[in-house]
Amino acid sequence: MNIEQIVDKTYYWVDEKARAGSLSLARKLSRRNFLSRLGMILAGAAAFPLLPVARSFAQNSITEVGDPQSCEYWRYCAMSGTLCSCCGGSYTSCPPGSEPSPITWVGTCRNPVDGRDYLMSYNDCCGKAVCSRCGCHNTEGDKPVYFNSNSNTVLWCFGTENTSYHCTVSLVLGAADE
Amino acid sequence: MRFITSILLSSLILIPAASAQLIPEEISVETLPTPGENWFISKTGNGGYIFDANTGEMQGLLSLSRNTPAVTSWAPREEFYATESYLSRGVYGDRTDIVAIYDFENLSPVAEIEIPNHMARLAVRNHLGLTGNGRHLAILNMNPGHSVSIVDVVDRVFVYEISTPGCAVIMPTADNDFMQVCGDGTLQLIQLDISGFETNRVRSPQFFNVIEDAVFDRTARSDDGWFLITHGGTIYEISTDDDEINISDAWDIVSEEDEGWRPGGGEFISAHRDTGLIYVAMHEGEVDTHHVAGTEVWVLNSNTGRRIQRIKMENPANSLMVTQEANPKLIVGTEEGGTEIYDALSFKHERSIATPGAALFEDF
Repeated sequence: MNIEQIVDKTYYWVDEKARAGSLSLARKLSRRNFLSRLGMILAGAAAFPLLPVARSFAQNSITEVGDPQSCEYWRYCAMSGTLCSCCGGSYTSCPPGSEPSPITWVGTCRNPVDGRDYLMSYNDCCGKAVCSRCGCHNTEGDKPVYFNSNSNTVLWCFGTENTSYHCTVSLVLGAADE
Repeated sequence: MRFITSILLSSLILIPAASAQLIPEEISVETLPTPGENWFISKTGNGGYIFDANTGEMQGLLSLSRNTPAVTSWAPREEFYATESYLSRGVYGDRTDIVAIYDFENLSPVAEIEIPNHMARLAVRNHLGLTGNGRHLAILNMNPGHSVSIVDVVDRVFVYEISTPGCAVIMPTADNDFMQVCGDGTLQLIQLDISGFETNRVRSPQFFNVIEDAVFDRTARSDDGWFLITHGGTIYEISTDDDEINISDAWDIVSEEDEGWRPGGGEFISAHRDTGLIYVAMHEGEVDTHHVAGTEVWVLNSNTGRRIQRIKMENPANSLMVTQEANPKLIVGTEEGGTEIYDALSFKHERSIATPGAALFEDF
């Protein structure tokens, strides 16, 4: 049996199990039963405290001053790379056609307006040539490559379809004192 | 009349010479002579420029991928080894990571070995290390967890990928082993068998704290092992004795009167193994300025723990390397992209070399 036959058989087995499982559930549960359970889940989710990431975006009220195209901007305290805000994106969005990396390095920056420290996520935007505008290399809290979650020299285009580096954004994940 | 006669005679002599057929010149191709004293490779984004530091003359170019971390060589086989990473359409498409082997004579690729597409694509000298027996090339991976790919460069085969969570830097030691620095403040020793498979793994006790004063991921080979330096300027010498890791007593390079000076830059530390002299790019700055280029290069005697010279830089030094000859040269890559050559023992500036900005230098 060659590899293709093994793969075909595996797919067939998975399909068969899924089909049998669906039929079994359909026999046991009515549509009303399914809808009532779905409703319970949605109501429960609303009552449940949101995760920190979601809560930080819900806050949506950080007052900021400064030029996001300047390396001195408060969000860039641990930034290393090219600023997406100079390349057709912003400090929270990738330029057209590039792909945000889901894996990042983090830092903590102080917003001079409210004096609070915020947990920052620096996401690379990938899949295009390096933008090479507004280069910025700040090293507050930066650690060596062997401590890579806090290392800003790493190219963080992991988990993307294309791994070339284009530019970097800086997202607020939450207040560090929360 | 005499003047006119002279002109006529001169014309008779010159006319046949001028009308003789000029032999067309033919193009030829040089080969690289045996590398001489104080030759070095200047690793740039465009490849490895080979120079003679004694004359400042370029000898040839190794074409390397833009993502090549470093290049190394093994003189007995007259080969260079580089890790390279390519995308099929330049900035997108299928990724292929390889170890490329180049010969000394023509600087041409003579073999390539595909490796897992996990190579850490950063220009760092110690993301690549050839074991002491010249057989196995260890390549640092980040995916984003750390691992190391082992390639047998004699049989030209990828051996396997070793998982090394939390540890990076490749520091070859003994015949077939390498050490790493780990985020928990320890060292890791990995010993390979003759085929390149891991046979033993040893961890040292914790000796530094990555939050309070991290050891740099840039290290320098010593006579017996490696020098490590922290962001604050504390030096350790590390070595191995079979499966034991030895860590020397720490010594500080910044005295009280020099408070505020810190090591930093790119590849900012190098050592001359025979004399034990360590060269470190230094700057004045706050905590977390460890990537700032050095306004001075400090020369330290590792045998006495004393500084013996401060070399002031006209342009800040981002990377440096000292050659290993008896009359060594200090090669300095400046922040502005220049390459400066110093006598490494008299500390006199000898020449500037025009090159594309070098990320790091490699010795032969």
